[in-house]
Amino acid sequence: MSMKLLIVDDSSIIRARIARLAAHPRLAGLSIVGLARNGIEAVSLCRRTAPDVVTMDLTMPEMDGIACITELMRGDPKLNILVVSALSDKTTAIEALKRGARGFINKPFSDEQLVDALLEVAE
Amino acid sequence: MTENDLKVFVDAVTHYFSHLTREPATIRAAYLADGGAAPVLQYTGRIDVSGRLRGSVHFSARRPMLFDLLREAQEPDTSEDNLLDAVGEIANTIAGNARRHFGSALDISVPVTANGAGVTNGVRARPFVIQLRWGGHDGLVVVDLEATAG
Repeated sequence: MSMKLLIVDDSSIIRARIARLAAHPRLAGLSIVGLARNGIEAVSLCRRTAPDVVTMDLTMPEMDGIACITELMRGDPKLNILVVSALSDKTTAIEALKRGARGFINKPFSDEQLVDALLEVAE
Repeated sequence: MTENDLKVFVDAVTHYFSHLTREPATIRAAYLADGGAAPVLQYTGRIDVSGRLRGSVHFSARRPMLFDLLREAQEPDTSEDNLLDAVGEIANTIAGNARRHFGSALDISVPVTANGAGVTNGVRARPFVIQLRWGGHDGLVVVDLEATAG
């Protein structure tokens, strides 16, 4: 399985943690094509790197995750976006899915939960 | 803020540590702070809240706790920036998880972080303080929220 992943999160710790999954045995073929700190960086990196999957935080400066999902889906409606957020209410999850996200996982998360979610949205 | 509302934050704190680390946090005390500024430890991350409630939620800890938390998360970078990032992310997770109870009407900001005092922004005369212990270290969560009119 080949998967190009773009990671979008304003926390450097979360970006690094997700990036370390490239070494996970269930994700052989995963390559990290970019790390973005906000929605604006994500839109720019997505155009340059053409990822298969994007992990998307929601609460970010400059451009938040919901606005970023809308922008990314406008450019590539087939993009697989997995929301990774602490926002735990149903309304937010439904809104993200309506805008085009394929999955939603809450923080805090375990590595296995994130691997499962990544494999699911990439199918 | 009802007792049930406050329990949401206690649960969010214990959930965070039990989910991310092999050792759950214990709640040592939960109380209304005396008048004056809310207590802080060395590093603090604050999330501003608006909507149905207004005010802030902050998480505060000393350097050794943050070192151990980063180590537990297999994060080798223990720079000042990452220690600040850690308190901000923990505050963000606790406040964000509280939306399961309060709903999307609770708007939360990106984290404001600091090493030292000066990051708190009180609205209540006596904010609610959750004192926790994890890995032999003390931490604080301060819930300083009040209902908005209407």
